[in-house]
Amino acid sequence: MVLLVEDDGLLLMEASDTLVEAGFQVVEAPHADRALQVLESDREVDALMTDVDMPLGSIDGLALARLVARRWPWIPVLVVSGMGTPGPNDMPDGALFIPKPYAPFDLVQTLHDRVRRAA
Amino acid sequence: MTRIEALLHSHPPPADAASAAEAAAERLARAEAVATEARAAAALAQMRAEIACAEAARLRAAANDQGRALAEGEIRLASMEELNGRLRASEAFTSRLLAASRDCIEVLSLDGTVLWLSAGSAAVLEAGPDDRILGSDWRAVWPEPADRVAAELALAAARAGRTGRFRAASPTRRGALRWWDVVLTPIQGDAGVVERVLAVARDVTDAHHAEEQQILLMQELAHRVKNILAMVQAVATQTLRGATSLEEAATAFGGRLIALSHAHDILIQGSWAAADLQNVVEGAADLHGGRGPDRFLIDGPAVRLGPRSALALSLILHELATNAAKYGALSRVEGRVSVTWRIVAEASEPWLSLRWQEAGGPPVAAPTRSGFGTRLIERTLVHSLGGRASLTYPPAGVVFSLSAPLRAVQEASA
Repeated sequence: MVLLVEDDGLLLMEASDTLVEAGFQVVEAPHADRALQVLESDREVDALMTDVDMPLGSIDGLALARLVARRWPWIPVLVVSGMGTPGPNDMPDGALFIPKPYAPFDLVQTLHDRVRRAA
Repeated sequence: MTRIEALLHSHPPPADAASAAEAAAERLARAEAVATEARAAAALAQMRAEIACAEAARLRAAANDQGRALAEGEIRLASMEELNGRLRASEAFTSRLLAASRDCIEVLSLDGTVLWLSAGSAAVLEAGPDDRILGSDWRAVWPEPADRVAAELALAAARAGRTGRFRAASPTRRGALRWWDVVLTPIQGDAGVVERVLAVARDVTDAHHAEEQQILLMQELAHRVKNILAMVQAVATQTLRGATSLEEAATAFGGRLIALSHAHDILIQGSWAAADLQNVVEGAADLHGGRGPDRFLIDGPAVRLGPRSALALSLILHELATNAAKYGALSRVEGRVSVTWRIVAEASEPWLSLRWQEAGGPPVAAPTRSGFGTRLIERTLVHSLGGRASLTYPPAGVVFSLSAPLRAVQEASA
């Protein structure tokens, strides 16, 4: 299952459809706080894909990525944003940055690779 | 009568012929002698006249030369006085010029020691009477190591006879950080050897801040363009997913792009920080038959929307209006749509409550599958904004209502 964290409804809808069509189960979260609730629940998360700028949550996507890398280090992390490439200390080790807009096929391939490697 | 004629008349011919011939010959000889004498006298007089003319000319020329020399001497004297006056004026002017300049103008030794600075420089540097600038190391005023390297390189360039230039930050003597555009040029001696260095530093703090602001704006613009492209990509893919034909997809995609474009126009009016809800609703109405009371009744208080909500609501209203034009109230001449909103208190915070209600159209029925608009309502208004939304299809006309926390609707991020 992929935990998809995106605060833009349109982009969330499109990313979710893309991943569902590729065979993933998707749980959607509009901001980091909701994503943490999902992570702390019993649901098994195979990968995290998060936007960066999500003002309705208490932390942004980069902070969420670092937190997930620390608390759930086995979960592959993808950070997706239209902002510039994050700085060297913004991203946790092993996390991958994908700039927006992205090619849906490439996103699916990348997620498959990461989930397979983590398994 | 000439002298020759007078001689001829003074001797009348004798009576006999022989005597007459002799007398005539004698008179002729005498007349020729007189004529020769007269010609010689005339030539002598002409020669004297020519000599006199030449002498007069010489004297005249001499007199002119002497006069000119005197005049030139006087002029030369006058010029020197004027020149001195001009020099004094020029020095005063240069002095005023240097005092008036907002540039910091210094003369440095080849090792960077400040040997001289203009009167205006102290003001530019905010230096007080106790601040010692002369004799100090010019290189030491650049606190950043990288800037000090740039200063050293510029000084080396000037020492080598070239121009050195750099931009760096340095505080004034009162501690205000300023940005300076610094130009170092060589001052050469008579032999053409570089003896000193002229350092001119111009305060470019305002320009520097404007450039920084411009860079930030460019980054912000790049961010927005990426987000817009991502939105357009999502709209395109979503449109293609739900389309039954390429023509239908093309029409729907074009309409959605125009709705997004209208929302952008409204957001630009609000410096991309906010859009007025009334403008967003009117923008949707304009695309579908106009905002007049014969088609759209629009009413509600002034409400500021954040960029993301404005874009999403523009798309949602466009979908509702498109469906109303195809199947609902706007498909009939007598059909009407009312869009009203108000601010209500809910859980001790203000919420936006908006209602779209159609009337006068054909009896409507719920669609068999969720379209782009329905899914967008669910994702945007419920999922992202934490609000509630309902889309119902009573026979009298479609009713769409939304409630969302004003705080979330007004969120500035996009």
